[in-house]
Amino acid sequence: MRLRDLVVHAGLVATSLLTLFPALWVVSMAFRPSQSFDTSLLPIPEVISLDNFRDLFSRPHFFRQLGNSLLVAGLTTAIGVMFSCTAAYAFSRFRFPGRRAGLLALLVTQMFPGTLMLIPLYALIESLGLLNRSAGLVLVYSTTAIPFCVWNLKGYFDTLPRELEESAMMDGAGPFVVFWRIVLPLSRPAIAVTALFSFLTAWNEFILAATFLSEEQAYTLPVTVQSFVGAFSTEWGHFAAGALVVSLPVMAVFFALQRHLVGGLTAGGVKG
Amino acid sequence: MKNVAALGPCLAVIFATAFGAMVVDRYASHRALENGQAFALHLAAYLAQEGDVAIAQEGDVAIAQLRAHPAVQSAALVKVVAADARYPFLRRLEVVAHTDPSRVGTRLLASSEDDKRVADLVHIGGVTALSDRRFQAGVGSAVVTSMPITRVGLPVFGLAIGALAALLFWLDLVRKQPTSRVRPLIGALLCVGTLFTLLGWRIVAIDRLEGAARSTADPIAATFLLAVVVLLPLVGTGVLGSMRGVGPSPHRRAYAYVAPALVGLSLLVVLPFLFGVALAFTSEVDGQTTFVGLDHFIHILSSTGRRLTEPLSFYFTAAVTIAWTGINVALHLAIGLALALVLSDPLLRFRGLYRVILIVPWAVPSYITALVWKGMFNQQYGLINHLLLKFGLEPVAWFSGFFTAFVANVTTNTWLGFPFMMVTALGALQSIPKDLYEAARIDGASAWQQFRHVTLPLLRPALIPAVLLGTVWTFNMFNVIYLVSGGAPNHATDILVTEAYRWAFEQDRYGYAAAYSVLIFLLLLVWGLFAQRLTRADES
Repeated sequence: MRLRDLVVHAGLVATSLLTLFPALWVVSMAFRPSQSFDTSLLPIPEVISLDNFRDLFSRPHFFRQLGNSLLVAGLTTAIGVMFSCTAAYAFSRFRFPGRRAGLLALLVTQMFPGTLMLIPLYALIESLGLLNRSAGLVLVYSTTAIPFCVWNLKGYFDTLPRELEESAMMDGAGPFVVFWRIVLPLSRPAIAVTALFSFLTAWNEFILAATFLSEEQAYTLPVTVQSFVGAFSTEWGHFAAGALVVSLPVMAVFFALQRHLVGGLTAGGVKG
Repeated sequence: MKNVAALGPCLAVIFATAFGAMVVDRYASHRALENGQAFALHLAAYLAQEGDVAIAQEGDVAIAQLRAHPAVQSAALVKVVAADARYPFLRRLEVVAHTDPSRVGTRLLASSEDDKRVADLVHIGGVTALSDRRFQAGVGSAVVTSMPITRVGLPVFGLAIGALAALLFWLDLVRKQPTSRVRPLIGALLCVGTLFTLLGWRIVAIDRLEGAARSTADPIAATFLLAVVVLLPLVGTGVLGSMRGVGPSPHRRAYAYVAPALVGLSLLVVLPFLFGVALAFTSEVDGQTTFVGLDHFIHILSSTGRRLTEPLSFYFTAAVTIAWTGINVALHLAIGLALALVLSDPLLRFRGLYRVILIVPWAVPSYITALVWKGMFNQQYGLINHLLLKFGLEPVAWFSGFFTAFVANVTTNTWLGFPFMMVTALGALQSIPKDLYEAARIDGASAWQQFRHVTLPLLRPALIPAVLLGTVWTFNMFNVIYLVSGGAPNHATDILVTEAYRWAFEQDRYGYAAAYSVLIFLLLLVWGLFAQRLTRADES
């Protein structure tokens, strides 16, 4: 039994190290005053410096890009939640012709890759003159955000007991009052979690942003971070610092909320 | 009395929209000013290429061309007739052509400090711009164009009214006892909103000319598209509003609740999707769009010009994609399940710590993961080759062979993908009642038998959706392929979605890429139908 424990722990430690190392290397490179790739076996910088972060923050458009990221992710979330609350409720509570087809259609739109919609959306955004504008990106992200929010919220509404609504109805409340006064306040945590996840999705999105934005003032942070990795030379120090700045808050939120994600995902499915 | 009380909020909403429209208008005028200058500079630079003589001789022709443009109100060609070498900042200008013929021949004095003042001297209202290059060249000419100040508040106002009507209609539908009294009001509001929008759409299109000037997109097409986008919700709500009840009455409320999402999705998903499908039947050469029927599809499916087993042939890429998806999902499932089984032991020490560490890859944004691994696989400075050297092995040029590049991609994606399966399996394992194992042990089942006959069947309902989801994710895993191997060597490791992307944004063949995308769509649709059957069979 002892030996078995040892083997299990050895395996787990090895896997954990493999899992952590790439992440630790990023941390190490961010604090090293150099732009080359860290090739030491132990990801511990010899000299700790904040040069990379200072460079990053003093880039000409950094704070504007941060603002872009916040704006795009925030607006996408707002649109996703606003457009999906009532629909999720209807899909959860009412039985009506087209319900199954509607749910399936939502699932289908989630399954198809963003790159497929990319070409028509690009043409559309271009002819509206919204390339290099946050508004264009918000439009594109909303195509994912709305179905995701509908599915996630529907999953939560399904778990709410109907008795509450029924007793409110008995007391003479109309259906909309029930929805507005009872269902929505009760689902505040679920709405918050859904909103946060659609915020994170938009915050982390890279390829659509890289395609639609070509001017540096319009970049969102993922595009900025990626721009450090060039075809011939890479500023690894800046890249690592940028990666940390972009992903640390996201990771914190993720760890706080990941329990809520699994249920919602497997109930509906989200596109990557 | 009640109706009078309702007037208050209504008036407030209308005033608020009007105020909003005014603010937007202010902003739009300001934007239009910037756009106008950019546009005028663009035209000026274009005309400047033709040279002094040509402009001087064909000034009237150039002016006529400028005048014909919907965005230009007036334009002038200015020529420097005298520049004093002692006072280089002072130049005497002469208007050689003007949309207003009475101004031709006017002499002006300009200073280089403030070229914009030239425009003021020419007395052209609105926005002006001129090509500075001409002045710097000494003797030359300048193009001064002017743009009308566009007002964008009208369509916004129209939209606001339309939205208000839609909201009223929606609230009416959602209410328990719908009243038909508000319907005429809704209809009137819709009419006014449509009128304003119609008036305004053209102006908006002109405001967007900045984009048009740069991309050579057709402004008329832009106008049309914009009109569709703006008018569709208005017309849609109008049609809905004119019907007394949508659908059989018990379901009307359900449809009303679904309506916002439906409107949003039809604008953002259905419309672009249909546009994309239409694009698949066209080809664009030098800005000329022609209908080519099924040509793209035939070209792709017959893999014209390539053997079937060559990279860049559709079948080769599809095979790579399927292998990529299968191998990844199998690895995710195996690693995730194994870890979940080990971690589900409640007596295991540091269980929580392991769980937190092992979930890290899921939390890291995938483009960052991909870029880090790309660095680790780098031939010269990559960590993996350094390790190989340490162990006395030859360093590998990971991205110059198909197999090694594929391995690099799979490694990256495995690192990033197994936590999802692990977490799902862990959750499902916790919901298996412990007495089932006890009963199995009493019946003398071995550990393997317990796994095979208790754990696996009970994990199935949770794992099947996770696997289906993982399959779609991996099939569409653009970031890893695009950023790690980048399709190297020679597109061999590209999967279908990256290939479609390349056709569109590296080759600029939108029609071809759209056809490619439609084929991917069909493949996924078949898979989706199959998956749905699979889950349904599992449920029953």
